[in-house]
Amino acid sequence: MENLVQAALANVNFSAIMPSLVLVCFGMALLLIGVFSRRGRTTHIAWISIIGLVITGIYTYIDWVNPETQFGFAGHVAQDNFAVFFNIIFIAAAGLTILISDDYLKREGYPISEYYALILFSTAGAMWMASGTDLMTIFLGLEVLSISLYVLAGMFRNDVRSNEAGLKYFLLGAFSTGFLLYGVALLYGVAGTTNVADIGMYLSAHKAALGNPMTIAGMVLLSTGFMFKIAIVPFHMWTPDVYQGAPTPITAFMSAGPKAAAIAAFLRILMFGLPELHAEWGAMLWLLAVLTMTVGNFIAISQTNIKRMLAYSSIAHAGYALVGLVAANEVGLSGILYYMLAYTFMNIGAFAVLILAGKQGEENLTLDGFAGFGYKRPFLGVALCVFLFSLMGLPPTAGFAGKFYVFAGAVKAGYIWLAIIGVLNSAVSLYYYLRVMVYMYFREPTEDYSWISMPVGAVISIVIALFGVLYLGLLPDCVMEMAKMSIF
Amino acid sequence: MNDILITLLIIIIKLGLIFAVVLTMAAYLVLAERKILARMQLRYGPNRVGPFGMFQPVADLIKMLTKEDVCPAGADKYLFLFAPGLAAVTALMSLAVVPFGPTIEIFGQQVPQVVCDLNIGVLYFLGLSSLAVYGIALGGWASNSKYALLASIRGLAQLISYELSMGLAVVPIIMAARSFSLTDIVMAQESLPFVLIYPETFLIFFVSVAAESKRIPFDLPEAENELVAGFHTEYSGMRFGLFFVGEYINMIILGSMTTIFFLGGWHGPLLPPIFWFLFKVLGVAFVFIWMRGTMPRFRYDQLMHFGWKVLMPIALLDVVVRGGFMVWSLGG
Amino acid sequence: MLDNYLPILVLVAIAFAFAAGSVVFSRLVGQKKPSVVKLAPYECGMPLFGTARDRFSIKFYIIAMLFIVFDIEVVFLYPWSVMFKRLGMFGFAEMGVFIVILFVGYVYVWKKGALEWE
Repeated sequence: MENLVQAALANVNFSAIMPSLVLVCFGMALLLIGVFSRRGRTTHIAWISIIGLVITGIYTYIDWVNPETQFGFAGHVAQDNFAVFFNIIFIAAAGLTILISDDYLKREGYPISEYYALILFSTAGAMWMASGTDLMTIFLGLEVLSISLYVLAGMFRNDVRSNEAGLKYFLLGAFSTGFLLYGVALLYGVAGTTNVADIGMYLSAHKAALGNPMTIAGMVLLSTGFMFKIAIVPFHMWTPDVYQGAPTPITAFMSAGPKAAAIAAFLRILMFGLPELHAEWGAMLWLLAVLTMTVGNFIAISQTNIKRMLAYSSIAHAGYALVGLVAANEVGLSGILYYMLAYTFMNIGAFAVLILAGKQGEENLTLDGFAGFGYKRPFLGVALCVFLFSLMGLPPTAGFAGKFYVFAGAVKAGYIWLAIIGVLNSAVSLYYYLRVMVYMYFREPTEDYSWISMPVGAVISIVIALFGVLYLGLLPDCVMEMAKMSIF
Repeated sequence: MNDILITLLIIIIKLGLIFAVVLTMAAYLVLAERKILARMQLRYGPNRVGPFGMFQPVADLIKMLTKEDVCPAGADKYLFLFAPGLAAVTALMSLAVVPFGPTIEIFGQQVPQVVCDLNIGVLYFLGLSSLAVYGIALGGWASNSKYALLASIRGLAQLISYELSMGLAVVPIIMAARSFSLTDIVMAQESLPFVLIYPETFLIFFVSVAAESKRIPFDLPEAENELVAGFHTEYSGMRFGLFFVGEYINMIILGSMTTIFFLGGWHGPLLPPIFWFLFKVLGVAFVFIWMRGTMPRFRYDQLMHFGWKVLMPIALLDVVVRGGFMVWSLGG
Repeated sequence: MLDNYLPILVLVAIAFAFAAGSVVFSRLVGQKKPSVVKLAPYECGMPLFGTARDRFSIKFYIIAMLFIVFDIEVVFLYPWSVMFKRLGMFGFAEMGVFIVILFVGYVYVWKKGALEWE
């Protein structure tokens, strides 16, 4: 018994979860600060949460500089480079989101202090998903992440769409979590462990288990759970409604951070736990990647609401990321990491501009609403153009470099057709992204956009996102090296 | 085979004895309550049936058995029938772990004076006291009566609220005795009853227990002057009797638990242990009755405030301070 | 191990028999003269209005949810309270962290007004 305590103590190793620990502490502190502050005052809470994220970033930097992988909680958590790289993505996503949130929340009449705490909690959950090396840890992280997001999506209590988003996300999220857990149970039944690496070892030692229908079913169910979260066709049905109904910064956050978290956990499980089944899941993901890219892009074409259009385009982007997973080689996998970071910057940047351009209720975020926007608001117009170029995947932006690496990985692994379909899809996406620009620059302005104010936070956020997009696009090598070091 | 039969026989004898004693006690507790209350209010109380009204419980029983058993229209029939049984059964089941005295020797057999000394006795008791909530909830809901519904919801909220502080108040006791077994807890008080070592814990526990017993000043679920008869408004005859008996058995159980946790169980000088135990339980029951005779009823908001904002934090603080002190004194 | 629970099984049987028996007996002995008025739910003799299957205040739901959270806290305290000697300072610290987290929730709930009854 004494030994047990000693062993538990030695195994805990809090330094392995230091970044998320900081976030959780800040989240709890923010909850308290929130209830003790005057109603409607949220600005200081937003900035405190930014401080929390900066401290988290410092710890993440320390983790990155430290080349050794930190294991914690008896091997349930591993703070390796992979996790640290994703931590950077999560911190970027949460930070940019918080920066654009404060004025938005006040404009929409919901200055809710819990908002920031929930974002921090969900970021911590995302970190546990990325660093979890045990299916249970990953599940725990997923729940922390998701439950916070359910609340955030339905935060606008008097708005029917937001209610719909919250409830829909909750119901489908719970549903998909059920799939995931069932998959975990089946894999546990086969391998007798929930540790990802141990499952991999068991499967490579017992080839007979590979043909076991339970293994395949476990893999498929597990994948289904993650695919719901990543919004891969055919599990994408919730995405447009939820993305449109949720508060816009949350939409931006959901399409970047949590998606990256699900991809991180998915990647780790597939590469460590089920590498022996690569033939099976590779084929499955090949098909789904093609479907996801195509469906996402083609439905996005017919959207006139820009928020909804970005929702569909985010489905398509998840498809591009899957291409790298199908390739499953160094370039492809590091390409995913790179792509998720790039996508975080360009997507949240685009949403930031949308938030500034929107009126209360955001009824004007249609194509017509952007007529002449580029001339009346030159800075925002140029910024939006850069983000859209990046989303299209045109050089010299981050999106181009990301897509390049992912598709290069696919070509290297021999999936030439997949790469071709991906490139063709990017061409399709040109249409609906360019159309926004056409409205912005080639239509007579009907509005003078005088309601647009330029709050500090949002401007900082846009500038950071612009910097990120251009830096990743012009000088991709440095970050790509990081991404390469981060995969296993 | 023989062994099993003997064990079974001992169990049944014990249970039979306990049932007889407890049910009689419950019945006469009703009489005692009426008498004591009457005396406190300068009345005589029941004094017609037998000498000093001694046969009043028998008369009550006959009355209840022969009354019509009404099931109101629109009631959820099965739940309506089931709820009083549940109330009585959960109350009776708690008896299993109550140790009335130390192990004694009869005909060369070691016979512990407890139906079964579970190693999780405390959890068993707390679990059953949680289950007891269902009797009220189902009974009140199934009646199809507004008064019953209101009372049962109120009662539910009250019971679960005070269950928290009751559960928390037990923690220091478990820490001191280092066991979930009620017998062990009593044994740990051989030299000094815990009430002297943990007076504040005792107070928290006693108040929570008073609230759990749904008696004045915590009798909101049955507040006669606003909710007719509370959650058993629609019950009549023996079903009402079951609720009633269950309540008084519950009072005995809660008295026993107070005795076991804090008052040193069967320990006491001179008299045989079982007398001490009964004496203490009846003492606690008397305090309950006394409270009823003296105190006004809480208002509902006061009740909930007191439970959540006063009792809960104090109980939690008590656990932390007492626990911290015990850990520190260990080897700090 | 399980024969520890045999008495409880017997007890359950007897208790159920007692409950069912007394009710059945009273059914046999008691009278039965139902009438429409007698079977109507009691409302002080006034004609019935509304339904008893109504919605009730959200406060009670909140109390129920809070109860679950804090009851789990209490349940977590029990294993520690029997084993605290062996777990020592480490166990106490872990318990402390746990209690602090819940206490933050408690303060939050309080300040949010979930414990207010007017």
